[in-house]
Amino acid sequence: MTTSLTTTTAVAARAVAATKIYGTGDAAVRALDAVSLELADGRFTAIMGPSGSGKSTLMHCLAGLDDLTSGQVFVGDVELGSLSDRELTLLRRERLGFVFQSFNLVPTLSAAENIALPALLAGTRTDEEWVDSVIDAVGLRDRLAHRPAELSGGEQQRVAVARALAMRPDIIYADEPTGNLDSRSGAELLAFLRRAVRQLGQTVVMVTHDPSAAARADTVVFLADGRIVDELAEPSSEAIFDHLKSLGD
Amino acid sequence: MITLTFKGLWARKRRLVGTLVAVFLGVSFLSGALALGDTLRGNFDQLFTSANAGTDAVVRSATTLESGPRSDRTLIPASLASQVRSVGGVADAQPLVMGFGQLIGSDGKAIGGMGPPRIASNWVSDPALNPYHLVSGRAPAADDEVVINQGAANDGNLRLGQTTTVQVPQPVTVRIVGIATFGTAKGFGRATYTAFSLAGAERSITGRPDQISSISVKAAPGVSQDELVSRIQSVLPPGVQAITGAQLTSDNISSVNSTFLDTLRSFLLAFAGIALLVATFSISNTFSILTAQRTREAALLRAIGASRRQILGSGVIEALAVGVVASALGVVGGLGIAGLLKGVFDSFGFALPAGGLVVSTGSIVTALVVGVVVTAAAGLLPALRASRVPPLAALRETTTQASTASTRRVVAGLALTAIGVAVVLVALTGSGNGVLGPTAIGALATLVGMVVLGPVVARPASAVIGWPAARLRGLPGALARRNAMRHPRRTSAAATALMVGVAVVTLFTVFAASLKTSMNNGVAGSFRGDVAITPSGFVGGGGSGGGGGGALSPQLAATAAQLPQVQVATGLGTGNARVAGHAETVSVVDPRQIGAVLDLHPVSGSLARLGPDGIAVSQHTADSNHWRVGTQLPVVLPDGTPSALDVEAVYTSRDLTGDYVLPEAAWAPHAVQTFESAILVKLSPGTGTAAGVTAVRQVAAPFGSPTVQDRAAFVSSAGGIINTVLGIVYALLALAILIALFGIANTLSLSIFERTRELGLLRALGETRQQLRASLRWESVIIALFGTIGGLGLGVFLGWALADAVDIAQGIATFTAPPAQLAVILLVGGLAGVLAALRPGHRAARLPMLAAMAAE
Repeated sequence: MTTSLTTTTAVAARAVAATKIYGTGDAAVRALDAVSLELADGRFTAIMGPSGSGKSTLMHCLAGLDDLTSGQVFVGDVELGSLSDRELTLLRRERLGFVFQSFNLVPTLSAAENIALPALLAGTRTDEEWVDSVIDAVGLRDRLAHRPAELSGGEQQRVAVARALAMRPDIIYADEPTGNLDSRSGAELLAFLRRAVRQLGQTVVMVTHDPSAAARADTVVFLADGRIVDELAEPSSEAIFDHLKSLGD
Repeated sequence: MITLTFKGLWARKRRLVGTLVAVFLGVSFLSGALALGDTLRGNFDQLFTSANAGTDAVVRSATTLESGPRSDRTLIPASLASQVRSVGGVADAQPLVMGFGQLIGSDGKAIGGMGPPRIASNWVSDPALNPYHLVSGRAPAADDEVVINQGAANDGNLRLGQTTTVQVPQPVTVRIVGIATFGTAKGFGRATYTAFSLAGAERSITGRPDQISSISVKAAPGVSQDELVSRIQSVLPPGVQAITGAQLTSDNISSVNSTFLDTLRSFLLAFAGIALLVATFSISNTFSILTAQRTREAALLRAIGASRRQILGSGVIEALAVGVVASALGVVGGLGIAGLLKGVFDSFGFALPAGGLVVSTGSIVTALVVGVVVTAAAGLLPALRASRVPPLAALRETTTQASTASTRRVVAGLALTAIGVAVVLVALTGSGNGVLGPTAIGALATLVGMVVLGPVVARPASAVIGWPAARLRGLPGALARRNAMRHPRRTSAAATALMVGVAVVTLFTVFAASLKTSMNNGVAGSFRGDVAITPSGFVGGGGSGGGGGGALSPQLAATAAQLPQVQVATGLGTGNARVAGHAETVSVVDPRQIGAVLDLHPVSGSLARLGPDGIAVSQHTADSNHWRVGTQLPVVLPDGTPSALDVEAVYTSRDLTGDYVLPEAAWAPHAVQTFESAILVKLSPGTGTAAGVTAVRQVAAPFGSPTVQDRAAFVSSAGGIINTVLGIVYALLALAILIALFGIANTLSLSIFERTRELGLLRALGETRQQLRASLRWESVIIALFGTIGGLGLGVFLGWALADAVDIAQGIATFTAPPAQLAVILLVGGLAGVLAALRPGHRAARLPMLAAMAAE
């Protein structure tokens, strides 16, 4: 197995016996069942699994957007369960980046303002040179003054990626980032995330149910019924597809 | 469809709470005002009915000196009592001497006042002719013995056998020999009652043994009231009339209705109307937003076969349901408001005789109908809009679209506003009372024009108002500004409610300040003394002295004049007389002294040279009646003596004296009671003001501790009654402002509901709860300030128009926009925004962030 690969490199985030139960009594649903996982620094990790496998819940808990019923989640050395709402908010703002499937941008703000949003919230200045290079890299130079409603779906997602990169966060969490895109825009976006990992050493964690998207990752973690069932390193989309089929049975 | 409507209503109940509250508050105010009116009417009816229960007829003068509920009349000959008694069918006829008597309590302070009368009278021993019944002690026998009512005894802590003072208005020392109740109540409403023996009353009150106020008559068994009256009438001299007891009661009731209750009711209903108007804007806005949010739902219903009519009906039924529930609650809440309103009047010193709560069916029905109709009307337009949604909208990705203002709206709004302003400006070039009507119409058009223009202005105005927040408050401020600009129609609708409320507040503030300025200028310009003594407690209240107004004894002027610190102390008397055929309030002065303390700025003649057959009139009155120096005016004085006085002076400053000034020489021989409304003092040369005030205060203390002020304090307190009324007006407008706040809060809540995902996203990206709340707070402040600034502008314009119109018509207002008070209104408006955002902000901060990530 390839687990040795992840343990030898530095760890950006990890989960220890992470359990999340929704509801109580008969209606209780175990969305995460004692999941332990380490996310390697500077790597592109994909989390896959069928609907209801708990992959989104896992990501939300890893990103401090949702809390655990039991177990622990660490970003670096910080245990998220010990943080107040405010500390958690500041941690997200300063150390994490997000790309969601849809509704990624604040409709009243321009593309440029959306990219600068975390910095604006923090009241800090952005590294202009860095942000400029990010904007050029995602090819948004001439769309900066536009409002989200005036941008195409692909452009909107690229703004979201630029925003995630602008603060140079420890980890970027991407939740089905290509879910609402046509295949060409989706491929471009993945290529861009891939480059961010390869060339800039950015840590990216992506939840997806698309095998061809997951194939761009360094590692694919498979979830089913709230448990990690497998992990593949440097997978091809065929290998992933086969794996998913076996999970479906 | 109806089932669906009610299910939908129930599912959205949280979002409808805001609407419910607005309707509820508006209807509560309305039903409260009506209930208070009913209660007061019921109590007055009962009071007058029991007061006159045993009286079959009353003989009195036909000449009134005052148009009011306690209508002051001239005296009649005392000898008539025995003549009436000898008329066939008369069982008993008792003379009545009635006037003003201020009881002083154990603590040396005046008892009662504050509106209700302070009656001094003679004790009538026939229980059928006297509504007061002794509960302890006995009837007065000696001249210095009195019976007082239980309520006054309780208030003043006075006991049987105790000695105290009654000011009639000269202080008379009396011994309390009896305590009486009015029927079973402690008094006639809150009126105080002091009864002397007949001889005592004639000596102390009128000073005339040969004249009385009226005669109360009891009929012999089997003689009807009408029969009794016609028999008595035949023996009466001209100028004296007999009326039945029933007539007296209904006269009393209709008189208190027409002069006091109707005014109070109209006053309260006007404010209920303002509250309801503000509520209408809030309700309409809520329904509009709800409709916009349910566009897809309406379209889906249309797609699966619902007709337009059904969609419209559903919307109207929804509004009706909210209207019925909220109005029903409002009627109940109104009972509480009635008590609250009475409390407001009490706290400002107006004592209303409101005992048990009476609510007529008519009032309940009125409040219910108005509430339901207002809600339904406010819900109609949004329902119409919903019914026009095409079925295809269900398939489209529709978010609630930000509406842009149509050209038609811009044109209509600008035209209405311009016409309104133009009408006001043109109207104000006119003269006389005729300017008031056109000015009001122009003002109304301006208001409507501004409401129409609201959505047009909302966007740029929010941009400007929000600019400092965006600059100074970082991203939360910038988001607040953009969100306020996002839905101009919504922002303006929420702000309009507040605008109307603030405009009315500002209008009253400006108008009151204008009246005060005029009064202060008038008093400052005409008062030339150093110290003034005025009756304590209730300020103003007419000149009868027997009424709610205060009165000072002429003896106090004489006493103060003895002080070495005082050079001149002279009274400004007040009383009622008929002048040129009209009942008027007149001032009485001592021409030899008055020049030292008062300058009325005569345009011809002089007060100091007013002869015993002279009268001075204000220029305003002289002009409108075409009088000038030399005109002879027929005058009837309180004892009934007709005379003719020559206009010897015409003056301009009427703030202290009113329109007529008589010399003491013409007044005193014919006055029943002589009251001073103020005593004006000029200090001796070399006496410091503070020392003078202290000295005067010392000699004034035994006269019921009236107010003693130096010149500056007297001038600035000249508009005291205006402040009192303004205070009540503010209290009544508070509800309208509160409704407007609910409107803003409700708009925010509904917007938050719409922005759930956006707010979740911001939180996920690192917006703290604090920042989220700050952002909503600023958005609310921007909306509130937009409304407040609009209201201030409109209010100042309307206030200017009203002050100018009243000045043209009456010459009693000088336009003044008090900057400090206007700044306070602006500040309160901004704070109101902060308050309105509290609850929505709290709820938004608790929204789950993950809502942002939920797939569409």
